[in-house]
Formats: sequence, C-alpha cells, structure tokens
Amino acid sequence: MSEEKKSGSHVETIHLPAPTAWPIVMAFGLMLVFAGLVTNIGISVLGAILALFGAVGWFRQVLPHEAHEDVPVVVERVVIETARRQVERIVVDEHHREHFPLETYPILSGIKGGIAGGIAMIPPALLYGYLSHHSIWWPVNLLGGAGLANWHHPSTADIAHFYWGGLAVACAIQAVVSLLVGLLYGAMLPLLPRHPIILGGIIAPVLWTGMIHATLNLINPVLDSNIAWGWFLVSQVTFGLVAGWVVSRQEKIQTAQSMPFILRMGIEGSGLTQEQDDEDHKA
Amino acid sequence: MADRTFPIEGTLDLTPAHVHEHTWLEVLHEWVTTVDHKKLGIMYVLYGFFFLLVGGAEALAIRVQLAEPNNHFLSPEVYNRFFTMHGTTMVFLVGMTIIFGFANYLVPLMIGARDMAFPRLNAFSFWMTAFGGLMLYYSFLGGSGLYGVGNAPDVGWFAYAPLTARAFSPGNATDYWALALIVTGVGTVGTAINVIATALSMRCKGMTLMRMPLFVWLSVVTSGLTLVTITPLTAAQIMLVIDRYLGGHFFDTQAGGSAVIWMHFFWIFGHPEVYVLVLPAFAIANEIIPVFSRKAIFGYPAMVAASVGIAFVSLGVWAHHMFTIGMTSVSNAFFVLSTMLVGIPTGIKIFNWVATMWGGKIRFATPMLFLTAFVFQFLLAGLTGIMLAVAPWDWQLHNSYFVIAHFHYVLVGAILFAIFGGLYYWFPKATGRMLNETLGKWNFWLFFIGFHVTFDTMHFVGMLGMPRSIYTYEADRGWGHLNLIVSIGAFIQGISVLIFTTNLLWSAFRGKVAGNDPWDAWTLEWAAASPPPVYNFPTEPSVSSRRPLWDLKHPEDPDWKYE
Amino acid sequence: MSTATLIPHATHAPEQEWNLPSRGRVAMYCLIIGESAIFVIFVVAYIYYIGRSLTGPTPREVLDVPIFNTICLLSSSLTIWIAERSLERNKIRLFGAWWALTLVLGAIFLVGTGIEWHTLIYEKGLTISTNLFGTTFYSLVGLHASHVIFGLIGLSTVLIFTLLGKVREEHSERIQVLALYWHFVDAVWVVVFTVVYILGR
Ligand SMILES: [Cu+2]
Repeated sequence: MSEEKKSGSHVETIHLPAPTAWPIVMAFGLMLVFAGLVTNIGISVLGAILALFGAVGWFRQVLPHEAHEDVPVVVERVVIETARRQVERIVVDEHHREHFPLETYPILSGIKGGIAGGIAMIPPALLYGYLSHHSIWWPVNLLGGAGLANWHHPSTADIAHFYWGGLAVACAIQAVVSLLVGLLYGAMLPLLPRHPIILGGIIAPVLWTGMIHATLNLINPVLDSNIAWGWFLVSQVTFGLVAGWVVSRQEKIQTAQSMPFILRMGIEGSGLTQEQDDEDHKA
Repeated sequence: MADRTFPIEGTLDLTPAHVHEHTWLEVLHEWVTTVDHKKLGIMYVLYGFFFLLVGGAEALAIRVQLAEPNNHFLSPEVYNRFFTMHGTTMVFLVGMTIIFGFANYLVPLMIGARDMAFPRLNAFSFWMTAFGGLMLYYSFLGGSGLYGVGNAPDVGWFAYAPLTARAFSPGNATDYWALALIVTGVGTVGTAINVIATALSMRCKGMTLMRMPLFVWLSVVTSGLTLVTITPLTAAQIMLVIDRYLGGHFFDTQAGGSAVIWMHFFWIFGHPEVYVLVLPAFAIANEIIPVFSRKAIFGYPAMVAASVGIAFVSLGVWAHHMFTIGMTSVSNAFFVLSTMLVGIPTGIKIFNWVATMWGGKIRFATPMLFLTAFVFQFLLAGLTGIMLAVAPWDWQLHNSYFVIAHFHYVLVGAILFAIFGGLYYWFPKATGRMLNETLGKWNFWLFFIGFHVTFDTMHFVGMLGMPRSIYTYEADRGWGHLNLIVSIGAFIQGISVLIFTTNLLWSAFRGKVAGNDPWDAWTLEWAAASPPPVYNFPTEPSVSSRRPLWDLKHPEDPDWKYE
Repeated sequence: MSTATLIPHATHAPEQEWNLPSRGRVAMYCLIIGESAIFVIFVVAYIYYIGRSLTGPTPREVLDVPIFNTICLLSSSLTIWIAERSLERNKIRLFGAWWALTLVLGAIFLVGTGIEWHTLIYEKGLTISTNLFGTTFYSLVGLHASHVIFGLIGLSTVLIFTLLGKVREEHSERIQVLALYWHFVDAVWVVVFTVVYILGR
C-alpha cells in the first residue's frame, strides 16, 4: 500500500489511496433503502440502485489494483527536542516508609518453625493426658478420633485406650497442620517481622485459641466438651514459642523495600541507575 | 550524541509548496470524497459536536420545563420527543461519533501508519453514521405518529416493549428510531473493524503491542466491545422492525411474546455501551495525565489488563438495569456481584492515574484541568454506581432522578470532560493553532461549576422520590426549588459550551500558532507536522519504547533501557 | 538512510523481522465476531420462545429435517478448502472447478430453503405472523439465508474473475479471507440446524 518511489535515498512521492466518492454514494443509497421503509418504497428502490452503483464503483476502485494518487512529499525539517532538558528524579528518603521492613525472615523459616513447634507441643499434650486422664493416648485419640468415622459417642475408656488408627490419623493431622500453620506464619512474617516470638509465640496462639473456643461449640459441641481449654492454650503457646524461637535464629533476608520506591512501584522506569550513569559519564 | 531531528536525508526543499487558492466547491468536493483518516476524524468530531449542541438544546428545553411545578413550557408530546431524542442523540450521534473521531484521527498517527487499514471503508462508515443521524432527525419533519405529522420518536431512548408495538406507537416515528439506528450501527461496526485492523496490522517498526500508546490499546478494546454490543442492538431492532412491519410477535405479549426479553436484549447492548463510551475517555486520560504530570503512566500493563478486564466483565452485568422486574434472587445476586466486580479494574485505573500525578510536576493547562476533574468525578460516579448495584437500594431508587444523576455523572462528568480535555489537547495537532487558554479556563470553570450545580443536586431530587421521564409535578412534592437549581446549573453549562464553540471558531483562524509539539509530549503524533501532511510521516518511523519522543528528547536517558 | 528513522534503534536492538497480521484476515475475524453476536441474539430468542406459541402449527407438525440441504452446505466448506489449497499451489483450473462446485452446493442449499419455505407458507399455512414459532423460525433461518446469499454473491464474483482468467496465485490471501466468511456461514448453520430442527422439534 505504501510503496514509495525512491530516487536515491530521498522519498519524493508517496502512494496514498485516491479520494473517491463511491463510499458516500453507497452509504447514501443504503440509508435511502431504510428511509424508504418509513416514507415511500420508491425511495428504497432508488436507494438500492444507488447502493449497487456505489458498490460496483467501489469494487472497481480496489480491483484489480487499488486506485492511488502520488502525493509529493514536502520536505520539512521536524526538530524533536525539549526545553526541559533536566530530568528530575522523585527523591524518597530511604527511611520514608520505615514501617515496611527492609529485612525479614524467609518464608522457609516459618515452615521450619512450624515443624519444630509441632514437635514441641506434643510433650505438654501428653503430660495433660497423663495428669488428667492417666493415659497419654487421651489427647492422641481426641485429635485422631476426629478423623475416624465410626467414633460417634465414645466412652472415656475408649478415648484413653490405644488405637493404631487414632495414632496414625493424629500424626498425619499434626504434621499437616503444623506445616500449614508454619507456612502461614512464614508468609505473614514480612508484614510483622520484628518480634517473631511475641507474634508467633504469644499473640497468635492466644488469638486463635480464643477464636476456636468461641466457635467450636457451634461447629462440633462434642469435641468442644472434651477439650480442656487451659491445657489447649498451653500447648498452643508452646508451639508458638518454639516456632518463634526457631524463626528468630534464622538469617534475615532483604525485602523489596530496600529498593527505591520508584523501582518497587514501577512509577518511573527511567533513571533508576542514574547514579551509576553519572559515574559512567564521569569516567 | 544521537541526532535529535526527524530528518529527511538528501536535498532539503524548504520553499513553501505551491499555494493554490481553492474555491469553496473544490474544498467541499475534497472533503466529501476524502478517504484520509485525519479529514474523516475531523468530520466525525465536528458532526458529533454539532449534535452535542442540538442534544444540549433539547436538554435545556427539558430543564426549562422541569424548572418549576406545573410548568407548560413544552407540550407533553414534545417533552416526550425531546427526552427520547436527547438520549438517543447524546449516545449514538455525539458520544459514538466523537470517540470514533478521536480514534480515527489519532490511532494511525500514534502507531506511525499512513492511514487506516481500510480507508474507503472508513469513509463509508462515517457517511453511514452521518446519514443515519440525518435520517433520525428528519423524523421531526417527516415522521408521523400518535399526534400526527412531524413526530419524532417518543418512546424513550431504550424504547421498551410493548410501548413500541403498533397498537401503542402508531405511525412511523418509532420506525425512524429503529431504522436510523440500524444505519448508524452499520457505520459504527465498520469503524470498529477498521480500528482493530489498523492497530493490529499497520503498526510501524518496533511498535509491539506492549509499546502501543494506551490510547491505541483502549481504542482497540473499545472497538472490540463495540463489535459485540452494537450488533445485539441491531439484532433487537431488526426484530422490532419485523414485529412492526411483518406482523411478527417477538415482543407482542398478546401472542405469547415477551416484553422483558426486549429489556434483556436492549441492556445487553446498553450496559457495555457505557463502557464503549467511557473507555475512550480513559484513553484520553491515559495520554493527557502523564504529559501534564511530566511522568510516564503508572502501571502500563495493569492499565491494559484492567481495560480488557472491564470489557469482559461489562458483558455480564446488564440485568442490573432490571432489578425491579422480579428476577429470581439468584439472578439478582449474580448481577449485584458481577456489577461490583467492575469496581476492581476501574479502581485500578483511578489508582494508576492518581499515582501518575503523584510527585509529578503538574501543569494545570486547560486539558489537565478537565482531566483532573474527570478523575474525581468518575470516582464519584463509580461510587453511586456501586450504590445502585445493590439490588435493594436499586429497588428504592430505580427510575428515579438518582439514577439519572448517576449516569450523567459518568456521561458528562467523566466522558464529556475527557472529550473537552482531548479537544484542547489535540486541537493544535489538527489545526496547527492553540485553543485560547483564557477562554479555556472560563470554559472549564463554568462547566465544572454548572456540572456540579446540576448533577450533585439531582441526586437529592432523586432521593426525594422524583421519577424520571415525568412531564411535570405538583408544587407540594417539595422538588421545586431543587429542580430550579438543577436547571440553573444546566444553563451555566450551556454558556460554557457556547464559550467553547466561540473558542473553537476563533482559535481555528486566529489562535496562537502551535508548532509540532506544543505540550512537550512523547507519543508519535507529535513527531508529525501540525497539521500533519496527508501522508502523516515522510518516512516510516520506527520506535523502541512506549515514549519514542522521550527517547529522542533525552538520548542520554532513553526509556528503552528500562522497558 | 540510517537516520530516517525516529529512533536510531540499531544502537541497542538488532534489526528484527517485523511481521504483522494481514489486515484482511483481522477484519474478517472481527466481522465474524460481530455477526456471531447478531446470531446469538436471534438464537437466544428462538430458544426462549420454543413451545411458547399460543396457536399452531408447531414445529413438530410442519418441519422436516433438511438432511440433504445440510449435507450440501457443510460439504461446501470442504470443497472451498480444497479450492483454497489448489490456488496456493497455483493450480488455477482446479481452483476454478472446486470453487464452482462450492457455488453450486451453496445454491442448492438456498433453493432447498426456498422450497421448504414455499411448502411451509402455501401448504402448511405457517407465515411469519402466524405465531411465535413462525416469527422466530423465519427470522433466524432467513437471517442465515441472507448470509448465504451475500456469500454466494462474493463467490460468484470470484468465479467470474476466474473465468476471465484474472485470478492468480497472488490473490490467494484475499480469496482465503472470503472463504473464511463462507466457513463462518457453514458453522452458523450447524448451530441453526441444531436449534431449529433438533432442539426445537
Ligand atoms: Cu449498566
């Protein structure tokens, strides 16, 4: 469509589609076809004829070759420059957003903490079972029993007895939940990374114990009536303290916050490496 | 250092081209037969602007009629015609034409092309739209209806069945409505196809999809949406014509047909149509706000994704116009939720515009004034939209002036403001002269004040229970004073539009000479002369970033290093 | 002419091949999308009104399944495809033959529809204003038939040019775009056929 005639390196004329009246004729004809429906059928006929002429004329414009006109190029020197030579950067103080930490623990540390906490909460649970119900299998069955379909109304003796099934299910639940909670912990760390032990060890366990306590008698009243909430809290806090302690011993990594704000938010692509550029220029 | 000129190597012929005095007949012939996208774009905009004045005059007449209780400035029949024609005109003859005018003019320039993909189809589409509008307005003279000859359509712009049945709308005024809009619809679809084909197939070297200016992206999305929204309307209107001419029963409740299905078909068109109109307003904002904030647009990929997201979501929300027809609660819930979903991508956009302005060196020239107002008014419009998306709230306020106020906040507060901003911004490119800045400031502030006086107040009128489309009301309703305020605001806007018209005419001949790049902008259209020659660019440009002119202006710090 | 580009991009990006989709194809796909929306509305109306007519005749009473017609139209998609391939390999006469066959198959379909309508109107008493079934049936099938007519006009134009010996291999692209439209018309018939003659009966 835009094959240019060139003489040397200089474009003299440019091929452009030639002006034509056929489209307007066709449009007018088509409009008349419709207008005839509300006025007089004769107008529709006239419109159809016009539209047909327009279509044929248009067709002959395009086939076999598109009608072109050669427009001479008026050479003009277009200068593209700006009066604003100075490129300013948006300067943001490095500590402008201090509440977003510059360093945090990696997510993996949360998972490690979850595993450690999951193991650490077993002794208090067993201790509770032994002290209150003289059977360490009591808490195991409470947890594992939830996974056994045929446990509807177990007697106290049933819960205190040892079952392979209960142990297996309890271990599986304990492992999966510990991992998931650890993962969640790790994911939350960048938001609140400064005091992992207070957050993970005390605040979070107390909060979720409260939440479970408040809702469990609606969800599962039988389970609710079998839980000693004091001991439950103790085991949760144990989990949290151990998990938090494990996390706090991990290496911290840098967050994206240590990059300039402009880079993080994609506000300005250019000029991020201005300082280096400047140095390059000096060098 | 790189050459910062836009050079044509070889001999430079700087003698002015042979100037030939054209007679007015030659000029007319040139414009009528043109296939040049720039001329067609200008004609689209002028045509749309002319109908803006016409539709605006109708709105003023309506506001005079409603300014006080028991008024009889208009007859009830003329009142019905005016509100029908006002709506139809503003959506189909003003909104659609001006936005396609912008797309026509700018898309080829912005992607470094010589013309649209199909220049003759482009001319055909424009003339279809133009003749369709003339046909619609001819009904004022030649239409016949319930009240005799000279009867324009009077069934409301959504033309609900069964009011449109032969029994209730005798004569042919309603047929004028359906047929004229089918004609403009053909033109609209033609242009939509053309814009998509141009943007996909005519890009200059290096203009990858992710380097296209957002204006072009949004024009493509708008056109794609047009393809699937105008066509259902055309289909429904064909059904209506079949009902009225061939005795069909699509919307004939007497023969088992359904009036509600017309509502569904109409709003399957009608809701996305709002986005067809508002996406180009976003497009204008995406060009103007960065240039006047002196910063690159914030979150370009998010903007593209949000636009595409809006287009898709908007196809599934139409029945929020129909909460009161008694749908099942599941459908109600679905359309409440899908409508609220639109808030996410639009929220992203507003966030991105504000973030673009953040920390920028903002220049409040007239285009930027309009676009700043646009951002905040569009936010408010979106918030009342979310209110109305809540089905129980809608049950209270459906068909009240609250709804009218809400969608005028979108159509005027967002779209018209953006169009004004766009006209101030690209007028220098199209004519080579600047629009007068003092008149521009008057234009903006009067329009801004008038807009808020009218449409802020209108929300309260609606909450006091005033229904839409009523001819007049009793004095004891307590709407009188508020309606008077609404009408006063309408006249302030009218004065402002007249100032703009004056500015347009005066500046076209006497305005300050603009130069190629008056705003110090970054997209390709500013690399062409003002006004651009027919061939746009003497040689095909080639780009390597989203802001090719930035790269040329700042060769030591080009964008392509970071994209 | 190294400086005749806006950006001397050779400094950072090696000259790459610049391929854009064909504008004809893009436009035809767009047209097809738009037309599909029209058909969707008519099909939805048809489905919605199945069994809602207040008076007879019903589809079961008057409609015969047009198997032969359907086979003709659908096989024309195959023949036009063979024609396209022939043109690509510059076998103009073969192209002409397959193209003409496509045209004939399309014409048979149209005539078949005409005969069907004639029997429906004059023998079985179903017109567009008889009942909802009549309204929706004639609108939907008629809309499709009008597309067949436009397609046939396009096909005949190409055939005339072929007979005049003006079609060459280089027109392959344009002709494939036209064929795309014909494939669309066929695909729509599958939907219309399913809805009208299988679901609707
Ligand atoms: Cu809506």
